[in-house]
Amino acid sequence: MTGRLEGRVVMVTGAGQGVGEGIARRLAGEGAHVVIAARRADTGEPVVNAITADGGSAVCIETNVTDRVSVEGCVRQTVERFGSLAIMVHNAFAGGVRHRLEDADLDRHWKAMSRTAVWGSLYCAQAAYPHLVAAGTHGRLILITSPSGIEGSANIPLYSPVKAAQRAIAKSLAREWGHHGITVNCVAPVAGSPALMTAFDRNPDLRNALEARTPLGRIGDITSDIGSVALFLASDDAGYVTGQTIVCDGGSYLGL
Amino acid sequence: MPRGGTIPAVGEMSEGPTWAVLRPSFDAVARPFHTLTDDDWQTAWEDPLQRTISEMQDAFHRGVTRIVVVVPTTAMSGGASYAHTSAAAEAIRILVKSAARQWGSAGVTVNAVATGPADFGIDPLIAGAVSIAPRALATSDASALISFLCSEASGDVTGQTIVVDGGEWM
Repeated sequence: MTGRLEGRVVMVTGAGQGVGEGIARRLAGEGAHVVIAARRADTGEPVVNAITADGGSAVCIETNVTDRVSVEGCVRQTVERFGSLAIMVHNAFAGGVRHRLEDADLDRHWKAMSRTAVWGSLYCAQAAYPHLVAAGTHGRLILITSPSGIEGSANIPLYSPVKAAQRAIAKSLAREWGHHGITVNCVAPVAGSPALMTAFDRNPDLRNALEARTPLGRIGDITSDIGSVALFLASDDAGYVTGQTIVCDGGSYLGL
Repeated sequence: MPRGGTIPAVGEMSEGPTWAVLRPSFDAVARPFHTLTDDDWQTAWEDPLQRTISEMQDAFHRGVTRIVVVVPTTAMSGGASYAHTSAAAEAIRILVKSAARQWGSAGVTVNAVATGPADFGIDPLIAGAVSIAPRALATSDASALISFLCSEASGDVTGQTIVVDGGEWM
């Protein structure tokens, strides 16, 4: 039995840990050749090793998504190695520290989030574009956003606009690239990423509070829960789904 | 009408002692996404966001209790060749929600008013965001709504986006 992404080439940014790792592992499990585009090889290589140990295909290419040349280089190496690029998943993100909107020194919070989430979306989408066109109806751009990009955030207020921008980019490119057969969508997860687990370690009450407000009563698994939603969007099953955001958070956000 | 003077339907930032109406400037030139340069993105994405954050901060520090931000409906609809515009507009629209959450305890309401793309110079035929409207409008008159949102009477309304476009976007 062949996988649902057999032979397709996927690039996942920020795949050295957390949601990116979960997506990479899930897609590799369905036969995709996965490029682990990680900021540092020392986080990306263990993911490659885990995928290949399971019989999958993966390589790590060190990539800084805030650097156009670096992203273009990763895409170029991907195509040189595998011959194509059908699916781009931009997940990499930095920042997200608690702050107040009236504070004077917001720039230090803003810059990292804007550069990784929004500028990174620009670079990843542009670099992938000709290859997604070549992939035709298999072409996929998937941006990892957040429920905060829909409902705002009281704790990390500037996190919300950068995640909202990604949703707007997805809707716009769904319109702009649809005639090529390319679909563009977002996943808005709440999952057990390293950052969330660290927060739980610091504040055990946070886990209880988050689980209590989640109808399904648990935090999402990066691979089986979040990776599976990305797999759906990457697969032929989602060929008529574009410009959408799938919120994958156990039912915490029900505002759509 | 709120204290402090007349509020324009759609104008530049205007303010009274207790209210501020922000109308961010957006890059309304249609640009296919794959052609956007770093300079384009700086102008279309980074600059409007930083300006709006700064203007919202100024309003807060000035003691304003009603902040209204006017954006195009392209924020919610997206637009072909307008990803740069849509990204900035939607980011600002959601920033309004974050501000409403943080500043609500200080008695400050923050809301968005969304009007049609033509009000911002965006070509809806290129953007592809036009639906069958119950009542087509060349431009939107949001002055009465903005006036309400700037008034004391709107104190329980915050974090909302209210669309004034004749029903084009639903």
